[in-house]
Amino acid sequence: MGGKRKNGEDDNNDIEEKEEGSVNKKREILPSLIKNKQKRSAVHAKVKHEKKREKKKKSKAREAAERRALELGEEPPVKAIPRTIENTREVDETVCMPDDQELFAGNDADEFSSILKQESAPKILITTCRFNSSRGPAFISELLSVIPNAHYYKRGTYDLKKIVEYANNKDFTSIIVVHTNRREPDALLVMSLPDGPTAHFKLSNLVLRKNIKNHGNPTSHKPELVLNNFTTRLGHRIGRMIQSLFPQDPNFRGRRVVTFHNQRDFIFFRHHRYVFDSKESKGTKAKDTKGENTLQGNVVARLQECGPRFTLKLTSLQHGTFDTKGGEYEWVHKPEMDTSRRRFFL
Amino acid sequence: MAAVESRDCPVIRALTFDVLGLIKAIQSSYASTSPKIVETWGHPDSSNSILSASLNDSKFNPLLAVARKNGHIELVNPLNGDIHSSRIIENGVEDPIVALHLFKKDPTDSLSRECTLVTCTRKGNAALRSLEVDKTPSEDSTCNDSVTTWNVCSSGEVLCSAVHGNESQALFGGKGVEVNLWDLETRSKTWSSKAPPKSSLGIFTPTCFTAATFLNKEDHHKIVAGTDNHQVRLYDISAQRRPVISVDFREAPIKAVTEDIDGHTIYIGTGSGDLASIDIRTGKLLGCFLGKCSGSIRSIVRHPEIPLIVSVGLDRYLRVWDVKTRQLLSAVFLKQHLTNVVIDSNFSDLGTTGIAVDALSDEAQLNQNEVDASPPVKRKKGDKKLKSKKKSKKIVEEEDD
Repeated sequence: MGGKRKNGEDDNNDIEEKEEGSVNKKREILPSLIKNKQKRSAVHAKVKHEKKREKKKKSKAREAAERRALELGEEPPVKAIPRTIENTREVDETVCMPDDQELFAGNDADEFSSILKQESAPKILITTCRFNSSRGPAFISELLSVIPNAHYYKRGTYDLKKIVEYANNKDFTSIIVVHTNRREPDALLVMSLPDGPTAHFKLSNLVLRKNIKNHGNPTSHKPELVLNNFTTRLGHRIGRMIQSLFPQDPNFRGRRVVTFHNQRDFIFFRHHRYVFDSKESKGTKAKDTKGENTLQGNVVARLQECGPRFTLKLTSLQHGTFDTKGGEYEWVHKPEMDTSRRRFFL
Repeated sequence: MAAVESRDCPVIRALTFDVLGLIKAIQSSYASTSPKIVETWGHPDSSNSILSASLNDSKFNPLLAVARKNGHIELVNPLNGDIHSSRIIENGVEDPIVALHLFKKDPTDSLSRECTLVTCTRKGNAALRSLEVDKTPSEDSTCNDSVTTWNVCSSGEVLCSAVHGNESQALFGGKGVEVNLWDLETRSKTWSSKAPPKSSLGIFTPTCFTAATFLNKEDHHKIVAGTDNHQVRLYDISAQRRPVISVDFREAPIKAVTEDIDGHTIYIGTGSGDLASIDIRTGKLLGCFLGKCSGSIRSIVRHPEIPLIVSVGLDRYLRVWDVKTRQLLSAVFLKQHLTNVVIDSNFSDLGTTGIAVDALSDEAQLNQNEVDASPPVKRKKGDKKLKSKKKSKKIVEEEDD
């Protein structure tokens, strides 16, 4: 947006110059006014090149100023913060405040509180849609390695409502349904039992473990969970729902970490393990205090990814368990909500 | 959001009830036109969740009755939130109350400190209770209450209920329960609806009524009901047991139906957050209320004087809409899933806005008269069929060509 507006302003300037009858002949002709395509593209390329040069010059000047400040021991100039659609997001009154007593009371009363208070352990049933092959089973086997205490059940021809009933009888706390379309997983249904909400996610950009370069293999330890940027009331609820899938006492010996990072309403899933390399040649300090405790000498901590990698987008949050016909929704994405790029719901 | 706040909202006071058992009073004053939460009563606890509420909106001694999930019925002063009395209902937890109506007191015996309510539980146990209003909240006692109970349905679950304006008739409907009309004085069933016939494919849809109301304050012959199967039906008791008109609306179950004071417009709210108004005489959709409403609508209330409606639902917002323009006047974020809303129509901001309110109501009445002037068009089912036949004929002809 910013760039475009800048262009517009430049155009205005050009027009003004034209009106004034300035000397510079080349400046006054806009590339879009030229009808010959070859000439137009040539002029356009020239303008673009000039802009690029200017930009380079600016950044060089900025760098030089910084270096000079460093040499003189002065305060370096303040780094400009780029304007993104996230830090200019629309004001949202539903963003949770940390001092909100009602929020905590609501949390205590919601469907996930028994798991999150460690009164009961999560037990997850994973199943698929009716037709399932190729990447679907591969994805599920990796999900089983990510989520502890998850059990895969063949879907067969059972109705989802029957499965919910069965899972309730067997004391499962959540159901995950992986929906595949044309042999590619494309949707995820996360259902909290016995009467919790049902979240419907669109799943995209799935990369399996074997397709990740230098991937590691996860151990069976309980993972740490990182939930980023779930700020609004709805986001908070989704975050708690995801949290209730994982056991609440992470095993720090296992060094596994599962990340759900929310950015612009897309939830990015990553699965890593910490690696502590002891290196004698390099004199770098270990950033991780844990590493220092366990290993002697110079330790470098890094992350090694152990798949899968995927992106989720919430399409609806249903009140109660799966019910397409008589179900009530807590939140549904509707096209009329998409009138601004700077409006986010999570 | 800025655009929403710029439109001014008339002076109203509404009470909302949520799943944590909190009662919140929202009012827009003359000074600041956007409504705000002014008071919050109650202790947040999920077992206190409010299932149903009813307000006796009289000028003197207004009273609010609230039914909670843990089987309590409470009488609350809607002005300051004092609990006048609280009763525990037997089997209140296993068989929760789904509907409750507080009778408007006769102005003559306002000295008597008794009030009457009709309640109905999920399993269909309706009860007429008269409770004594204590000024001091006493111990939970049921000894001095007179309770008369009767059973509305033998099987199924009652999901919706409504009491007619003259408070002698009540209707009940639900999952597997056809709409029943009961005389509250004799406690006898006067009418019950009949399921619509099988479709042309021989498919029978099981009955599930999710919302119902009487169309008119004066006569109790017309009933509007919303079903799980996204249908809005108009029943006429004097005509037939099957619906006179049934209208499909979108694809989500109808969760709230409210009548307008003009006697033919109804407002419906669905499980996916669509709010619309329908002229039920013809079954025509007048228009939808658009405004980023994303969660199931649980309750709609029409203001008795000012032409506006208030809706609450699972998206945690209270929304105020203009009836005429169908624009969103304002929205208040209330943090919890909301189950019910009532409007305190006697509220005015220290009398400063009395004139404005009167003017508005006059306008509303004028508009009403205009609308009433047009002759009511009734379309029976037969007409519809005829039309469809004609259509099919046309299609056939075209195919022949």
